Amino acid sequence: MTQTQVNNPDKRMILVCCGTGCLANGSGPVYEAFCHALEGNDQFEVETFAKATGCNGLCEKGPLVKILPDDITYCHVKEEDVSEIVEQTLLKGELVNRLLYRDPATKQYYRSHHDTNFYKKQHKVALRNIGEIDPTAVQDYLDRDGYRALKKAVKTMTPGEVVEEVLKAGLRGRGGGGFPTGLKWKACASTDDPQRYVICNGDEGDPGAFMDRSILEGDPHTVIEGMIICAYAIGASAGYIYVRDEYDLAVKNLICAIEKAKKCGYLGKNILESDLSFDIEIVRGGGAFVCGEETALINSIQGNVGEPWDKYVFPTEKGLWGHPTVINNVETWANVPVIVNFGAEKFASIGTEGSKGTKVFSLVGKVVNTGLVEVPMGTTLREIIFDIGGGIQNGRKFKAVQTGGPSGGCIPENLLDLPVDFDNLSQAGSMMGSGGLIVMDDRTCMVEVARYYVNFLASESCGKCVPCREGISLLLEILTRICEGKGTMEDLDLLESMSSTIQQAALCALGRTAPNPVLSTLKYFRDEYLEHINNHRCPSGVCKDLTEFYIDPELCTGCGRCRRNCPADAITGEKKKTHVIEISKCIKCGECINNCKFQAVKVK
Amino acid sequence: MKVTIDGIEIEVETGKTILEAAREAGIDIPTLCYSEAFGGQGVCRMCMVEVKTGNRKRFVASCTYPITGEIEVQTKTPELEEIRRNIITLLYRRAPNSDLMKKLYQDYSCSEVKGVDPEESCIMCRLCVKACEKVGANAISTVLRGTEKRVSTPFDEESPECIGCSACADTCPTGAIRVVEEGGRREIWHKSFEMLRCEKCGGYYSTLPVREHVTEQLELDYADDSLCPNCRRKKLAKEVAEVR
Repeated sequence: MTQTQVNNPDKRMILVCCGTGCLANGSGPVYEAFCHALEGNDQFEVETFAKATGCNGLCEKGPLVKILPDDITYCHVKEEDVSEIVEQTLLKGELVNRLLYRDPATKQYYRSHHDTNFYKKQHKVALRNIGEIDPTAVQDYLDRDGYRALKKAVKTMTPGEVVEEVLKAGLRGRGGGGFPTGLKWKACASTDDPQRYVICNGDEGDPGAFMDRSILEGDPHTVIEGMIICAYAIGASAGYIYVRDEYDLAVKNLICAIEKAKKCGYLGKNILESDLSFDIEIVRGGGAFVCGEETALINSIQGNVGEPWDKYVFPTEKGLWGHPTVINNVETWANVPVIVNFGAEKFASIGTEGSKGTKVFSLVGKVVNTGLVEVPMGTTLREIIFDIGGGIQNGRKFKAVQTGGPSGGCIPENLLDLPVDFDNLSQAGSMMGSGGLIVMDDRTCMVEVARYYVNFLASESCGKCVPCREGISLLLEILTRICEGKGTMEDLDLLESMSSTIQQAALCALGRTAPNPVLSTLKYFRDEYLEHINNHRCPSGVCKDLTEFYIDPELCTGCGRCRRNCPADAITGEKKKTHVIEISKCIKCGECINNCKFQAVKVK
Repeated sequence: MKVTIDGIEIEVETGKTILEAAREAGIDIPTLCYSEAFGGQGVCRMCMVEVKTGNRKRFVASCTYPITGEIEVQTKTPELEEIRRNIITLLYRRAPNSDLMKKLYQDYSCSEVKGVDPEESCIMCRLCVKACEKVGANAISTVLRGTEKRVSTPFDEESPECIGCSACADTCPTGAIRVVEEGGRREIWHKSFEMLRCEKCGGYYSTLPVREHVTEQLELDYADDSLCPNCRRKKLAKEVAEVR
């Protein structure tokens, strides 16, 4: 399913990554510098352009600059590197070695990002255009099969055939629930109510998740095209894109894309001379995490408080303004044009039995290559974290990976070979969620992790139903107590009983999954809870009330790294002699243990 | 349509909620946020029941679940009892000052928890908000979110919409809404109202904005009639007797 490369030997293209990550690292001035250097420059043998693209995924190495058709990728490019790249690479055809990607493990340099482990194991479907096109140029999208799926659907397929195709592809919602997209469409299309709506859920709120943001920023047309195809399939006349207010660049690029799609006749009345008339409006979210839940999102669009309602009647029957509504997540929409273009079979050939296609993950935490990755469903966590992600930072030990956002669960090392798909993650007590992967090392206290996420949910619960609002508040109270060393064994029973009530009785999926961080850590890391309760000890040295550090004289080399990094001047020792921590001065920040290269700093 | 609730077969109209169907059949399901006047809210989750459709079993809130097909419902299972006990535990923890919660906490033999705020009586059932909405004033609503959520007027200030009818306080099952009536004035939700006096018995009975609101809503003319509900009933009864 690879797309035609923009690979014209008569032209040379400098693609500067201008996703939010790279922009934050200063790619804006890099792009400007390229434009400036190329403008009116007649020394080049071929026509040379600079282009600002969306996120390439390897945010850790940004700002990224790619040169086509030479297929050269430069990392950490600064404004002052631009003249060197122009001189060396563009004019002389030589590489600037120091800017090439260097494998953290093998120390080998790579000319193209395509050859690196980070990209080699990826399979880009939803992200196929991102980083390759200028998201503000509709022509770039058209050059890469853009709106071809829409034409195919409208000109050669009946609405029913489109629904069937999506159904056959086995596409499941990428926002968290994993509900079969085709079934949603079919249910909506079969209602009697002729007024139907299409909504794109872009209220990505999980901490550390940025897949939807990257798609909206880097390839807004694919989402728009997916929605128009759905409008044709189910007979909708209006669509809404609900996007986080904080996603400034995404909103800007979406507004631009909608305008251009209208000009091209893909939105508006009688699209492609058919009977289909469809328009899209952008609604900016108000900053509530719960509005990622579809009924809360609908309430928010309607101008009500963002609270969910019991979905015993699905939104496909009674949704926005009481009319049948299809809501899909950004990433789901991005897959739709691919399915229609290349056929359900081709799409379904990727992935596992129950989960077809690929999944985009935002790989963050204590992993070497932080960034956005897209892999076939069924790829193991080990491949994602160690092959693509390059393993754990600073040579530390892997402890757990948290999947599925704040209400996902923590998966331990013995499940690293679990092929990732919707069903496997649920069975492991976690969930796919929207695709956040937060990697944790041995310096992470799992009780504190559970407390951290429950604390997040305590302020992000909408507060409507009792089990979620009051239950989370109680979970937080108990977890805080355990982290302070004041927990009891009865507390563990209450944690489990309350968690199960929240799972069974809360109103929406956010509430019902809220105890996942607690239950999964209790399941896989119960010994840590017991250490906190029975021995008043935090084995990872995180909970301050239960931590005491010491230096093992057998292992200490007297390098002085801990002493220099200690902000409290609590470590003394002469060069090349054993160092000692003065307990009364120690503030338990963990800088010594984090910085020691010889694992000499220990937790008592 | 036929449904089975706790083994009893019942004929039900499509669209009716499980709670309505059960109550009509004399089966009691406990609730805290439900009122026939306002319908199901799905807020307190005390009315959770187990629904079996085909081979699938799940827990649903009976006050919002509309019956659209043949289902088998269980309203009292050990799992449901645990859910209800935990909900009471949670609400007692939130509102330890409420007599209702104190009683239920005992009745359900709940796990030991310490109340968060000893002065609190509100259980956030939102019946007050519903009552205010029904009256047509819409002066109060839930504010904030998460564990901070509570009922208030906008910005906790005196609301121009409040007519001082105290329907909110009358509906409240835990007496959590403060109404002070003193010296011919009623204070509620940061607002003070002069009270109307019954021209017959002399007792204080409502506020001027309430009389105006009712007159306007019902398109009636009570301009020169200022009677308390009690005296009005007596007057009406007398009039009816005279007509006969």
